[in-house]
Amino acid sequence: MAKLRLDKLKPLVALGVFLIAWWIVPPVIKSFLKISFTEFQAPSWVVSSYLEDLQGFWARRSHSKIELIEAGRELARKKAYYQYIAQRNESLEAEVDRLESILHMPTRREFRYEVARVVRRDLSAWWQQIIIRKGRDYNIPEGAAVIFSSGVVGRVVEVNAFTSRIELVTSPNFRMAATFETDGRPVIYQGVVQSGFGRATGSVNDAPQDIIANSQAPLKLVSTSLGGTFPPGLTIGSVSWLEPGSTGIFQAGEVTLDERLLSLHEVSVLIPLNPLEPNNDVP
Amino acid sequence: MFLDPRILIMFGANALLLYLSLLVNSALSSWSLYLVLLGPMLVLPAIFLRHRSYLLCILLTGLWVDAELPCQFGLLTLGFLTAGACIFQIRFRFRAEHNYHPIILSHSCNLFCIALISIATGFEYLSVSSFWIQILITTVLSHGLLTIVAPWFFDLQRLLFELCRLETEPEDFPIL
Repeated sequence: MAKLRLDKLKPLVALGVFLIAWWIVPPVIKSFLKISFTEFQAPSWVVSSYLEDLQGFWARRSHSKIELIEAGRELARKKAYYQYIAQRNESLEAEVDRLESILHMPTRREFRYEVARVVRRDLSAWWQQIIIRKGRDYNIPEGAAVIFSSGVVGRVVEVNAFTSRIELVTSPNFRMAATFETDGRPVIYQGVVQSGFGRATGSVNDAPQDIIANSQAPLKLVSTSLGGTFPPGLTIGSVSWLEPGSTGIFQAGEVTLDERLLSLHEVSVLIPLNPLEPNNDVP
Repeated sequence: MFLDPRILIMFGANALLLYLSLLVNSALSSWSLYLVLLGPMLVLPAIFLRHRSYLLCILLTGLWVDAELPCQFGLLTLGFLTAGACIFQIRFRFRAEHNYHPIILSHSCNLFCIALISIATGFEYLSVSSFWIQILITTVLSHGLLTIVAPWFFDLQRLLFELCRLETEPEDFPIL
């Protein structure tokens, strides 16, 4: 009987021992354990992502030649248009550089674009993150900005050997400096807990009192260079209404984000060519 | 034997279940739906295995899940050990040869995991209504799917025991 009672206590004793051990074990060991398990699991996600690519490849191979010729023609048309845009962009950039040098303005931060496939999306009430197929193997730095064709996606929060984890702009843990497109004054954008059913939203705070937004002409919220992470002018979302904030001095409102944020397949990581030096550079 | 070889099958099945559930979650992201199917992972190890093997299996599964999910590392290991200890204490009461009791246990454990993650990860949003709506949708959807997934998962594990010519009954069969 006594033996049985001791047997019954075993799991509780084990739980207690684990708790104490977890308390006293140095963070280095915990970190090592986490990294080991994560790196061990990463190949399965990378492989499934490549398999998805292969699936797409075979799906495209099943298209008829006529469909492919039409798609090629459409692509050629778009390429010609983008070549024209690129030329115009080059000349405008040269003009901006010339004006900046005349005005002795400080140099802007330059970025390298690293395009990466999305391996996994974890979007729930508790976390809003995605995992991409590039990590330390492509020199992805922690804290780098991530964008897609319609604007800001989020920020890199964890870099592993072959994958990186990105905190989405919808996450309540995400916060950045922003500005309205028609107004240069800075405001604060922050993600909120998502209400679900495919609608992505955020919130804007500290908007000046004189800014008016309405659903007929929503205000476009864009990134600013103030934070140092994002280049200026990238779309975050649109604001249809603003109301007095909790302080009464500034306004706050809801930001409607692009719905495609919830089903991303490809993103670009902005890697700064000249990273900020915390001791020398003022953010 | 020092360790039960069935822990390999149980751990492998747990890893497979987690991988599949995360794949489904990734596909469901455009509808903002999420599934938590963690409950079934700790039921059979707690009912079938001796303490040493159970502990190793649950510890490995917990760390595996913790590394996959973006919550605080160690949270679900601790949660699994707590829920596992509770099941282990009263495992004589459950009939492991049928799925009825394991399914009920898996639902209870799953609910416990959802509550644990909600408290640990979203404590500051407990007053936000949309947080509760999301949790409610996640819970209903997960438990709805669990009624199909849990029997399949337990049958799969039993089938693998048979295929590998391992014991298909618990170590300490309940005294009837």
